Amino acid sequence: MIGARISRWTMSYFAMALAWLFIALALMVAGVGFPAADLESPDTLVLVHVVCIGWLSVAMCGALLQFVPVLVVRPLYREEWALPALGLLGAGLTLLIAGFLALGGRLPAWLWLLPLGASLLLAGFGMIVVDLGLTAWLRPAGPIRFVLVGLVSLCVTVAFGAVFAFALAGWGGATGAVMLASGLPLHAIAGLGGWLTLTAMGVSYRLLSMFMLSPEVDDRKSGTTLVAGALAMAVTVMGGILATWLVSGLNVVLSIAAILGLATVALYGRDVAGIFRGRMRRHLELNTRMAILSFTSLAGTALLGVVLVSTRAFEAQVGAFVFLAVFGWLSGLVLAKLYKIVAFLTWLETYGPVMGRAPTPRVQDLVAEARASKWFVTYYTAVWLGTLMLLAGEPSAFRAAAAAMSIGIAGIVREVVRTRRLADVACSLRLTGGASAPALLFAKT
Amino acid sequence: MRNELVERMRDALRVVIDPELGYNIVDLGFIYDITVMNGAARITMTATTPGCPAAGFLKEGAANSAARVPGVVSVEVVMTFDPAWNPSLIEHAARAELGFAAVN
Repeated sequence: MIGARISRWTMSYFAMALAWLFIALALMVAGVGFPAADLESPDTLVLVHVVCIGWLSVAMCGALLQFVPVLVVRPLYREEWALPALGLLGAGLTLLIAGFLALGGRLPAWLWLLPLGASLLLAGFGMIVVDLGLTAWLRPAGPIRFVLVGLVSLCVTVAFGAVFAFALAGWGGATGAVMLASGLPLHAIAGLGGWLTLTAMGVSYRLLSMFMLSPEVDDRKSGTTLVAGALAMAVTVMGGILATWLVSGLNVVLSIAAILGLATVALYGRDVAGIFRGRMRRHLELNTRMAILSFTSLAGTALLGVVLVSTRAFEAQVGAFVFLAVFGWLSGLVLAKLYKIVAFLTWLETYGPVMGRAPTPRVQDLVAEARASKWFVTYYTAVWLGTLMLLAGEPSAFRAAAAAMSIGIAGIVREVVRTRRLADVACSLRLTGGASAPALLFAKT
Repeated sequence: MRNELVERMRDALRVVIDPELGYNIVDLGFIYDITVMNGAARITMTATTPGCPAAGFLKEGAANSAARVPGVVSVEVVMTFDPAWNPSLIEHAARAELGFAAVN
């Protein structure tokens, strides 16, 4: 196969993900969930799942549907599964959220919504895992190994989540109740650490090398980073289940996992620094400059974790720690790369078919980086201020920071829509050689 | 005469750009070889990576642009990744224009 096909539904995944992100931001601005409510309150569960499933996981799945075939140089196992999977994820999350609202008394006590929502999510993620997993398995080398470990972690996360959902509805039996009582950290670490972070790391290796024309990270080096990350996940999940079974508490397991997690971040930092040092393109595009702010947030998260643990304040401040990881590191990186991926795919869809027949613009001509950069800076500044406000115990100021984040995101989304609309392309080149304008929410392939 | 035709084809191929690098595929060193025999042209070319979604469009674009050159009757484009492309294949002038670091 020469050249992966353009993924038809990646834009739809991105659009749905951004819609969920706006819902999450609206909740934060309105003061629903943490920090106004406890971390384990139903309102916080709503907020956390909107962010982690609706925004981050859906965006990541959309990116992987395009990216895995590029890495493996093979078509997806079942391209036609992408849209039904998106439907299942949207419906499943909606029902799960309704279930949490029922749990908190905001809806009638229809707790059966929780297992129903979890089952649909299980089906949606199941299709994604099989589709991507069977494709990725054809060439398990380089960054694709991170994606495979990420997919395994996704399975673990969803399995934990399903057990919790059944247990909350009273259908989980004694095992479900035990897991629900102590397994929450395992679910969160597998999701944020294994699925989202390891996958983002793997994808970033390739994207950074590709966009900066830098040599690929040596497989042995990135392999060491992956082993540390995979060990952290294995210790968390297997050690955590064993500790829960033995009723011995999770402290030892989580301490070992934290050390391995820190080692993973340090090794990843070494790898990324090597990519930057070896780059041929001296000028950094906006997406790469903004990715640096995301890496800075990851380093900041690690440092914050060390400081909080050493001052015995981790438990009290875990919300701030997770917030920085989710919005500074993961969301920041996803937004920066989404900005670039949309421009690249839009170019391919619009101008690829007319190449050779007429002069075409460059990918860079589809975006206005100077204008977009202020929205990214607004977003990151708001995230860092929001983290400080959480640490300082200032919920009102945190809501103001969330409002500023919303402004930044709205600006970024406006730029992305302009890219899809070819609004920044010079008129003489916009629909050159009979090119046809792309649809906003899917690719006309 | 034949060399002249090859040169005209190289010029025509410059309308095809790598979308990411924003530069034409000739000066980026993507065109490995052009041969013409009795109007039948054969272009051997590459792209940055085999899986890149642009690779298929680059191949098609090269065929489209070459076919427009007077004297060319048919075009066959062969995409190869052996040897793999690397930045040292970029023409000096293009390298400077793209703001690249020095490469061997």
